Amino acid sequence: MLTAAIFTPIIAAVLFALWPLRRQQPAMTPPPPDDADPTPDPGAEAPMATAERALPTPGRPEEQLLQAAATLVAAVPLALLVASWIGFDSTGGFEQVQTLTWIPTLGVSYRVGVDGLSLPLATMVAFVFIAAIAYPVDLRGRAGSYFALMLFLEGVSIGLFLALDLFLFFVFWDLSLVGMYFLIGAWGHGDAARSALKFFIYTFSGSLALLLAILGLYLASDPRTFDMAQLIRQQPLSGTGVYASLVFLGFFLGFAIKTPLVPFHTWLPPAHVDAPAPASAILAGVLLKMGTYGFVRILLAMMPETFGHYAIPLGVLAVISILYGALVALAQSNLKRLIAYTSVNHMGYVILGVAVAGLAVSGEAKAQSLALTGAVVEMVAHGLITGALFLISGSVLARGSTYEMDVYGGLAERARMLTGVTVVAAFASLGLPGLAGFVAEIQIFAGALGVSPPLAIIGLLGILITAALFLRMLQRLFLGPLPVRWRGFPDLTLQETVVLGAMLFFVVFIGVAPARLLDVIDSFARPFVGRI
Amino acid sequence: MNAIILPALPLAGALLVAALPPRTRLGGPVAVAILVVTLALGAWAAASEPASSWPWSPLIRPSLQVEGFSRMMVVLVPAIAVPVVAYAAATERDALPRLLALMVAFVGAMLLLVTAADFVALLIGWELVGAISWALIAHHWSDRRNAGSAAQAFLTTRAGDLGLYAAAGVTFAESGSFSFAGLARMDAVPLAAVAAGVVLAAAAKSAQLPFSPWLFSAMAGPTPVSALLHSATMVAAGAYLLIKLSPMLSQVAWFPAVVASLGLATAIAGGVVALLQTHPKRLLAGSTSAQYGFMFMAVGAGYPAAAAAQLVTHAAFKSLLFLGAGTAIHVSDGEDLLRMRLRRAVPLIAALSAIGALALAGVPFLGGAWSKDRIIASTLAYAPWLGAGALVAAFLSGAYIFRYHVLAYGAPREPQEPPATGTHARAPGRVETGAVAALTALTLLLSLLWLPGAGRIFEDTLGGRLPTPAAWEFAASLLLLLLAAAVVVALSRLDVLGTLALPAGRQRSGADWLALPTLSRVLVAAPVLAISRLLAALDQRLIDAGVRGAAATAGLASRLLSLRIEWSVDGIVTLLARSTLGGARASRQSDDAFVDRAVEDAAAGVGVAGRLSRRLQTGFTHQYYVVVALGLIVVVALLAFQL
Repeated sequence: MLTAAIFTPIIAAVLFALWPLRRQQPAMTPPPPDDADPTPDPGAEAPMATAERALPTPGRPEEQLLQAAATLVAAVPLALLVASWIGFDSTGGFEQVQTLTWIPTLGVSYRVGVDGLSLPLATMVAFVFIAAIAYPVDLRGRAGSYFALMLFLEGVSIGLFLALDLFLFFVFWDLSLVGMYFLIGAWGHGDAARSALKFFIYTFSGSLALLLAILGLYLASDPRTFDMAQLIRQQPLSGTGVYASLVFLGFFLGFAIKTPLVPFHTWLPPAHVDAPAPASAILAGVLLKMGTYGFVRILLAMMPETFGHYAIPLGVLAVISILYGALVALAQSNLKRLIAYTSVNHMGYVILGVAVAGLAVSGEAKAQSLALTGAVVEMVAHGLITGALFLISGSVLARGSTYEMDVYGGLAERARMLTGVTVVAAFASLGLPGLAGFVAEIQIFAGALGVSPPLAIIGLLGILITAALFLRMLQRLFLGPLPVRWRGFPDLTLQETVVLGAMLFFVVFIGVAPARLLDVIDSFARPFVGRI
Repeated sequence: MNAIILPALPLAGALLVAALPPRTRLGGPVAVAILVVTLALGAWAAASEPASSWPWSPLIRPSLQVEGFSRMMVVLVPAIAVPVVAYAAATERDALPRLLALMVAFVGAMLLLVTAADFVALLIGWELVGAISWALIAHHWSDRRNAGSAAQAFLTTRAGDLGLYAAAGVTFAESGSFSFAGLARMDAVPLAAVAAGVVLAAAAKSAQLPFSPWLFSAMAGPTPVSALLHSATMVAAGAYLLIKLSPMLSQVAWFPAVVASLGLATAIAGGVVALLQTHPKRLLAGSTSAQYGFMFMAVGAGYPAAAAAQLVTHAAFKSLLFLGAGTAIHVSDGEDLLRMRLRRAVPLIAALSAIGALALAGVPFLGGAWSKDRIIASTLAYAPWLGAGALVAAFLSGAYIFRYHVLAYGAPREPQEPPATGTHARAPGRVETGAVAALTALTLLLSLLWLPGAGRIFEDTLGGRLPTPAAWEFAASLLLLLLAAAVVVALSRLDVLGTLALPAGRQRSGADWLALPTLSRVLVAAPVLAISRLLAALDQRLIDAGVRGAAATAGLASRLLSLRIEWSVDGIVTLLARSTLGGARASRQSDDAFVDRAVEDAAAGVGVAGRLSRRLQTGFTHQYYVVVALGLIVVVALLAFQL
C-alpha cells in the first residue's frame, strides 16, 4: 500500500512526460513571457485600460483535462495514506513495513513503513500536492512536463517520509532537489534560472554533507546497515568525540540548510519569489519539512546522546531563526518574500520544540514529549497554512502582476473571497487559537518553558512580531481605499476557492479537533522521549 | 447538558448571521434572538453549574466549568449584549451582517473565556476575543487609519497575551497539566512567574498602564462595538481573570501591592485623561481604564468580591453611557463634545444617559455607588495610601462624568440657541431608544444591591468577603461627589467646562493618554521597525555575501586549477573521444550490423561527453563550483571509506 503511494505518481509522471511529445508539438507556440517583468505596466494606471483585468486564461481544454487527470493521480497516494491511518494502531514502532532487498552487499534495502511521525507528515504532503497540482498556473504551453514533474516530486517526497532505509532516504532527498530545480527554472518568473541554480547548489552542498554523515553513521554501525529501525536500536554513535561530532555536524548542515535555519536560509527567499506559486507551496509545505523531519528522524532518534549535548546551541539557533525570520519578514514589501521569511520563523518553532525534546535533562519527560508533539504538529500545520498562503500569493500575482504590496490596497471591496481566505490563513499563521498553528505553538512553548525557560520566553516574542507582520500585510493588500487601477480586480475563481477552501478546512479542523492527530503523533513522541 | 453549548451556540450562530442574505434585513432579529437564547442558557448554566471537557491528548484537556464568578459572567455577558446588538442593528448601516455576526461571535468567544477551567481553553477564548475585536475595530476598513488602529489594539493586547502563554507553560511544567486547579499545588517561584504572566495579560486586556492607549485606538470601531468591548467583553476579561485567579495568586508576596499600585496609577491617570478629553467616546474610554483600575485596586487589596461587584455594575452603566454617546454622535453629526449639549434635541436619551452618569459617579442609591463604596472600603482596609488614592480617583470620576454629561446632554447655554443637530441628524428610533432604556433598567435594577443582605450574593458566589464601609467613608465619598459636582457647575458657569481654560495643545496631549502613545511609538514600535529594516537590508547583503563569497572562492580555485590542468584534462578527453570515434569508424566496416550500431551509439555518446566536458571551461563560476563540489564528494568519500 505504501509502495503504491510512492510509485503511482512516479509511474504516472512518466506517462505525463510522454504526453505532449505526441500530441502538442505541432500546436505549440511559445507563449509570450507575459509576467517576466514584475513591475506593472505603466499604461495600467489609466482607468480605461483596467476596467476589467483579465485572469490568466484557464488554458486549453486539453490542459484542463491533463490537470484533472494529474489531480486524480495525485489523490491516489492520499487515499492510500488515509487507508493507512485507518489501519494504524499507535503501537509506537514502525508499522506496515515493506522490505525488498536492493543492494545486499552494502546492506541497502528498499524499506518503507510508517510511525506516528511519518504518517501525519506523509499525509499532509500528499494533500498539499493535490492542492498544488489542482491550482491554476501559467503552464507556458508545457502542461505535460509540468504535471509530470509535479507527480514525480510527489512520489519522491512521499517516499522520503516513508523510507526506512538511510540510503533510500538519501536517494529520495536528492531526487526531490532535481524535481524542484526544474520546476523553478522552467516555470518560474523573474530571475528564475539564477534562483533555481542557487537553490540547487546551496541545498545540494547540504546534501553532500548529509551523504558524508550517512556514510559516517553507516561505517560506525555494527553490523553495518542502512536500516533506520536498526540504527535507532543500535545507537552506533554517542558522546561528543570527534567522529560523532563530525557526523552530527554533517547531518546538521544538511538539515539546517534544507529547513532552513538562520544563517543558512539565504537560498530560500529568491527561490520562493521566482518560483511559480504551486512550486512555492511545495517548497515551503513539503521540502522544508524534509529538513525538520531529518532532525527528528535521524539526529534525535539515532544520535540522541550527541544531540543532547548540542541541544542548547541548536535551541539558540532556533530562537534566532524565530526572531530573525519574523523581524526580516516584518520589513518586507514583497508579499512572497514576506511569506518566505515567515517560514524561517515557523521552522524556528519546530526546531525549538525538537531541541528541547532532545535536551539531556531528567524529570521533564512530560514537557519534552509535549514539545516534540508540538513540533510535529507545527510541521503539518505549516505545510497547510503556508502552502495556502503561497497559493494565494500566486493568485495575487496573476491578477496584479506584482508582489509589491504597496501597489495594492482596498482589495477587500472587490475580492471578498480572496480577502476571507487570506485573513484566515494569516491568522492561522500567526497562531490564532481555533486554527492549526495554535495547537502546535502552545505545545512547543509550554514544553520549552518546562525545559529551558529563557529560550521559550525569548522565542515567545516571535508570535507578537508575526502578528504585527501579518496584520500589516492584510492592511496593505486589502484595507484602505481601493486605488482606481484595481477597480476591475477579479475575485477568486471557483477552482481557486475550492482548493484554498479545502486546505483551510483542515487548518480549522486540526485547530478545533486535533485529538486524532495528536493521538497518532503522541504514539511516536511519548515513548520516544521516555527513551532518551 | 454540556457547558460547551454556551460558547458554541453564539459562535455557530454567528455563522448563520453572516450567511443570511443581506437584503432580507433579518440579521438584527436573528442576532438578537440568538443572544436571547444564549442569555437563557447562561441563566440555566448559572443555576446548574455544568462542566465539560474536550480532550485533545492525555496532556491537554481544554475544559469548561461554570462556577464561582463564571456564574455571574455567563448571565452578564449576554444580558449586556442583547440591547447593544439590537442598538447596532438599528443604527449601523455599513456591512451590517458582518458587524452583527462578529458581535455575536464576540459574545461566544467571551463566554468561552469566562467558562474556561484551564489555561488552554482560556487562551482560546482570550485570543479569539482579541482577534474578533481586531475585525470589529477595523469594521470601516476603507479608511486606512481604522485598519491601523485595529492593528494597534490587537498588537497591544497580544503583547499581554504572551504573559498568558508563559503562565500556561509554567503551570504545565510545574503541575503536569494546564488546569487552574494545579496552581494551588505550585511552589513559590513558579507561582510568582504565573502571577507575573497573568498580571501582564490582565493589565493589557483591561487597558491598565502602560497599555491604556489601545482603548483609544479601539474607538475607530462603531459605537456599539465600544459599548460591548468596554463593558462585558474584551476589557472585562482582564479583570475577570485577576478576580478568578486572585485567591491562588495572592500568595505571591508582591502580587497585592503590584496589582493595587497598577490599579491606582491607572485610576488616577485615566481620570485625568478623561477629564481633559473633548471627544465623547475617548472620554468614556479613559474612564473605562480608570474604572478597571478600581477593580485592580480591590483585587490587590484582597477583596476580589468587591472588584466583581464593580465589574457587574460598571458593565451596566458603561454600556448605557456608550450607547448614549453613540446617539449623541449620530444626532450632532460629529464627535466634538464642545458642540453637543443635546438635552433639548433628545430629552429622553439625555435623561437615560444621566442615570448612567450618576451610577458611574457613585450617587446613592444606584448600584454603581454601592460597588464603589465597597472598593473604597477595601482600599482603606488594605493601606491608608491606597485608600487616599482611591478617594482622589473617585473624585476625578465624579468630575469627568459630570463634565461629560453637561457637555453632551446638558441644556444649551443660550436658551434660544437651536439644538446642535447636524445635517445628517435623525431622531433616535424606537429600537435605539428601547436598547438604551433596557440598559438603564438594568442599571436601576442593580440599585437593589443596597437592600440589606443583597450584597451577600457576591460573597456567596465568589467565596470571599466584602468590606462594610464605615459611616465616615460613606460621608467622605459623598462629600467628594458634591465637590466634583460643584467644580463642574462652576466651570460651566465660567464657560470653560470644555476647554478647562488650558492651552489647546496642552489639553490635547494630556488628553491623549499624557503622551503615552508617542512614548510607546518612540520606545517600542519605531525601534522594532528600524531593527527589522536593518536586518532585512543586511540579510541578503551580508549573510548571503558569505555564501556568494564561498562560491566565488570555489570558482576562483577551480579556475586556477583549470589553468594548470586545462590542457591535460581537455587533451585526455579529446583523445578519448577521438580514439573512440576512430574505433567506431573502424568497427563500422565490420559486417555485424548489430555490434556496429551499438558501438556507434556509444561512440556518439562519448563524443557528446567529450564536447560537453570541453564545455566545462565556460568561465561561469557556478559551473566550476559544481565540478569542484563533485570532486570534493569523491575525495571525501574515498577518505571516509579509508577511515
